[in-house]
Amino acid sequence: MSKPVVLSKNLKKYFNSKKGVVKAVDGVNLSVGQGEIFGFLGPNGAGKTTTLRMLATLMVPTSGSITIAGYDVVKNPDEVRRHIGYVGQNGGSDRPATGVENLLLQGRLYGMSYSEAMARAKELVKLLQLEDFADRIVYTYSGGQRRRLDVAIGIMHRPEVLFLDEPTVGLDPQNRANLWEEIAKLKAQGVTIFLTTHYLEEADALSDRLTIIDQGKIVTEGTPKALKKEVGGDCITIKIEHQKEVGKELIDLLKKEASTQYITEDSEFIKIYVKNGAAAVIRLTELLNQQKLKLHSITVTEPSLDDVFLKKTGYLLRDKDVDEGGHR
Amino acid sequence: MKILHDIRLLFWRKMMETLRNPIYIIVSMLTPVVYLLLFSPLLKKLSIPGYTSKDILNLFVPGLLVIVAFLSGLFVGYTMIDEVKTGVIERFRVTPVSRFALLAGRVLRDLVNTLVIVIFFTLVAIPFGFHVHVLGYIVLLMLVAMLLITTSSFGNALGLILKDEDRLSPIVQGINLPIILLSGMLLPMVLAPTWLQVIAHFNPAFYAVEAGRLLVAGHVFRAQVGEAFLFMVPMTVIVVAWATKAFNNALS
Repeated sequence: MSKPVVLSKNLKKYFNSKKGVVKAVDGVNLSVGQGEIFGFLGPNGAGKTTTLRMLATLMVPTSGSITIAGYDVVKNPDEVRRHIGYVGQNGGSDRPATGVENLLLQGRLYGMSYSEAMARAKELVKLLQLEDFADRIVYTYSGGQRRRLDVAIGIMHRPEVLFLDEPTVGLDPQNRANLWEEIAKLKAQGVTIFLTTHYLEEADALSDRLTIIDQGKIVTEGTPKALKKEVGGDCITIKIEHQKEVGKELIDLLKKEASTQYITEDSEFIKIYVKNGAAAVIRLTELLNQQKLKLHSITVTEPSLDDVFLKKTGYLLRDKDVDEGGHR
Repeated sequence: MKILHDIRLLFWRKMMETLRNPIYIIVSMLTPVVYLLLFSPLLKKLSIPGYTSKDILNLFVPGLLVIVAFLSGLFVGYTMIDEVKTGVIERFRVTPVSRFALLAGRVLRDLVNTLVIVIFFTLVAIPFGFHVHVLGYIVLLMLVAMLLITTSSFGNALGLILKDEDRLSPIVQGINLPIILLSGMLLPMVLAPTWLQVIAHFNPAFYAVEAGRLLVAGHVFRAQVGEAFLFMVPMTVIVVAWATKAFNNALS
């Protein structure tokens, strides 16, 4: 990896609440290289946004250090601000103004002249395909159109690093796919992108490297490929009748099987991680027959990031997302 | 200078909002005129020390000008909350723009709008019998401007800190009514019992209203005018400094 553009060491953010100290971010080390898309994955309330806000000079850390483009975030926030772009969860485009006005203002706040800003705005309107609505008031935009403008505003001043906080939340699948394409385009232009998301597919599709965070601590990091490989082999998901009653017994039995590497269960499914899926399925059906257990479904898949998450934390990211708690 | 350049840009951003939807400022311009038409005739029947029914508007208009400035500033918190929710404030806070400029751009727009409303109203009041002393009036505009800068900074900071209309409303409404009643805007505080007069001395709007009534009559060098400045200059400075700090710390 080339010289890191974003570097954090033992980063912490504690909040005092009525119930005591909340460790929203608890010792996070990050290192993002030039030109990569870095995914920061975790459930809601894991500490993603808090970390991002500290990186983007919006919040002062309780302790630890952050360097961005060589500048210390706490000691030299203005210098850091010159080198970063930031698109928050709520966007940032000014609703009563037009798209172009938003871009011009952003450029000029970073010290561009009017003509420089105009030229750059035209460039971005083309790059992010804003032509049809750039001259309209933002109030009239659809969610997807506004998101694209938000991103354009974020890169108006050609930042070295672009922070994107949950960029596709609230977008329909079509718009999400479009935005993914735009993000890939930015990478092609050499922008380093730091992206938080709680969508596994998004982290998988976009990131060169990713870090998984849970309860304020980093759980694991690596390329999506390497992380999935670490889980290894194949994943067999089975659903059986009366799982509640017989599940525990069955799991003990399955654990004794030589092919089983790792096993987890939730209320609906049992997941068994094995080296060779096809061979294990045969053995598994035999075993279930012997036990006179009725099989509802069985699927063999390659491990996903969900499986990585499950193995590292002991629960599924999707389950955790049901209760949207946590600190922002 | 960069800071002036930034303030100008941020001022025009807000000013464009006003110019795009002039209906809001037009309604604001008409409100004091409604007071003039529907409330001031009532005053003519009252006997207020120092005023005859002919120059009663010299009692009423300065008070109204002060209250217009006070209210125009106090309620800006709602727009601020809107901008917090749409991420606009956060977006600006990530730019290398001075936090003071972020505040000043907004406050200046409010100041210009308020001065337009105030001057328009003054011009309308003259044919109804309002006599104005020019130098005194200019000094009064300075007081009005300071009051607006204070309340607009305060309102903006409050919106930024509270981030929620439901939390902002009780505070703004709770401040609004006692300040207006204790300013002596509708009826002068001379008519009030002593205890009420004592409380009024803690109200910035009271000083501005009292001084305003002297100023429009041309009494620029009275003690009450000096008192008003003595009270309001430090107050403006403190509130602006506090509001700037809110932009620095806010977790918008």
